[in-house]
Amino acid sequence: MESKQVVETTINHTSSPDYYQNGATNQAVTKKDLNKMVWRSLLLQASFNYERMQAAGWLYSILPGLKKIHKNKHDLSESMKSHMEFFNTHPFLVNIIMGIVLAMEEKKQNRNTIRAIRVAMMGPLGGIGDALFWLTLLPICVGIGASLGQDGNPMGAVIFLLIFNAVHFSLRFGLMHYGYSAGTNAISSLKENTKKVAHAASIVGLTVVGALIASFVKLESSLVIHAGQAKIALQKDLLDKVMPNLLPLAYTLLMYYLLKKGFSPVKLIIITVIIGIIGKIPFPFGTIL
Amino acid sequence: MDNHVLLQALLVAIWAGIAGIDLFNGLFHIHRPIVTGVILGLILGDLKTGVITGAAIELVWAGMVPLAGAQPPNVVIGGIIGTSFAILTGQEPKVAIGIAVPFAVAVQACITLMFTAFSPVMHKADQYAQEANTKGIERINYLGILTLFVFYFVIAFLPIYFGADAAKGVVEVLPKWLISGLGAAGGMMAAIGFAMLLKIMLKKQYVAFLIVGFILVTYMNMPVIAVALIGIAIALYDFFKATTGDGSVRGVPKRGI
Repeated sequence: MESKQVVETTINHTSSPDYYQNGATNQAVTKKDLNKMVWRSLLLQASFNYERMQAAGWLYSILPGLKKIHKNKHDLSESMKSHMEFFNTHPFLVNIIMGIVLAMEEKKQNRNTIRAIRVAMMGPLGGIGDALFWLTLLPICVGIGASLGQDGNPMGAVIFLLIFNAVHFSLRFGLMHYGYSAGTNAISSLKENTKKVAHAASIVGLTVVGALIASFVKLESSLVIHAGQAKIALQKDLLDKVMPNLLPLAYTLLMYYLLKKGFSPVKLIIITVIIGIIGKIPFPFGTIL
Repeated sequence: MDNHVLLQALLVAIWAGIAGIDLFNGLFHIHRPIVTGVILGLILGDLKTGVITGAAIELVWAGMVPLAGAQPPNVVIGGIIGTSFAILTGQEPKVAIGIAVPFAVAVQACITLMFTAFSPVMHKADQYAQEANTKGIERINYLGILTLFVFYFVIAFLPIYFGADAAKGVVEVLPKWLISGLGAAGGMMAAIGFAMLLKIMLKKQYVAFLIVGFILVTYMNMPVIAVALIGIAIALYDFFKATTGDGSVRGVPKRGI
């Protein structure tokens, strides 16, 4: 186990992630491929989990494109590795990110720029998608369908499905093709400034990661400290006074620190599960979390 | 009689498996109670009660949607248990909702466990990515789909076949702290994903933006999209400042407008 990790790190050091063994930028992805990948993106959340969320499903969705773009095994491996990083967005709007990222992969863009674009887009599109689909389209369709259903008319379900999916699938296919052509055009005009674009994308990317830590990591203490007559709720009276979301930030930084120290992510998962369970054990003084 | 119940329970369970997959994948929305009501009405032989109960449960769940990744009570099992209960016992839709919601909450907790349990599988996926093994990545995703199907199949089959009371007992046997502890761990798990992103992306000159993003959500409760727009604003300013800084002569842009 230990020796294997050493080998892995040496591999990572000798091959820079931005280096393509085959730098040719021929057009490899066809319209048919794009459509195929829209269908595959229906499985975006097949392997959903809390650590990487949609990452493996995202990689699954774009695999046909990546295989065509990177004929070289080394390049394909580098690309696949980077697409296994954390990913989470709205499952309908994912297609526009797919289109743009595939255009960038095809043009053999700097790996860090692709990474930053992917991260910078996933958060905002998640928010837009929630508002657009879960809070607008779904209630409208449900309203129409359920009003028929309440009278015992089974056509309510059919109409519900027809309206919902007409919007759903025209958006999916439209966004995929739009993203791909927009990505291709934007890239050719920005090519000369690759370094600056990577820098700009990193700025947006890290701003979004900061926002995601504050909105996605959930960690609160329910501990109440009894000091004589006074009761102090650790979270409300102390931690929140210092800074709300202090624990989520501290925990993320702890994980970051441990990763840099060489802890494997599996170890971090086990540590997290143990902390979670211990936190909920009902001790005489209350539960910690 | 027994064979008839077994057949019905199997058919309902198969529908639960399909609907359970649709909840996260495909998203044709055949998993909504309004559709489940029709299907279960056909399976259990009372279309009208099925449709009416399905519509009533649908309205309860209209507001319970997965916002920002937070899982609401499970709509698939809620619809299936509620509708079956209404048809099999002849109770009103209102009573069916009262039965459906606790089941849906329990199943939501199980889903949390499943998302936690699937995290270690990602490291197998990392290994496949390293080897450029595309088949391996595909297998992992198909395994996920199969897991979802089996999970919903079992959850729906047992209460329909053995009756709702028996199923409730099983949920009560597990210690509460264990279930909520795994749930708490699930809430913290995203920190590992973000830490891995930071390990790759974070350089000294970008720490400032990480802080800005965090502060805007923590203190201003800004939605992520607004934070991203601020990030874009900073990036645009920085981008064009850098461009004109070395490319312009006496304020005249080198490349024209």
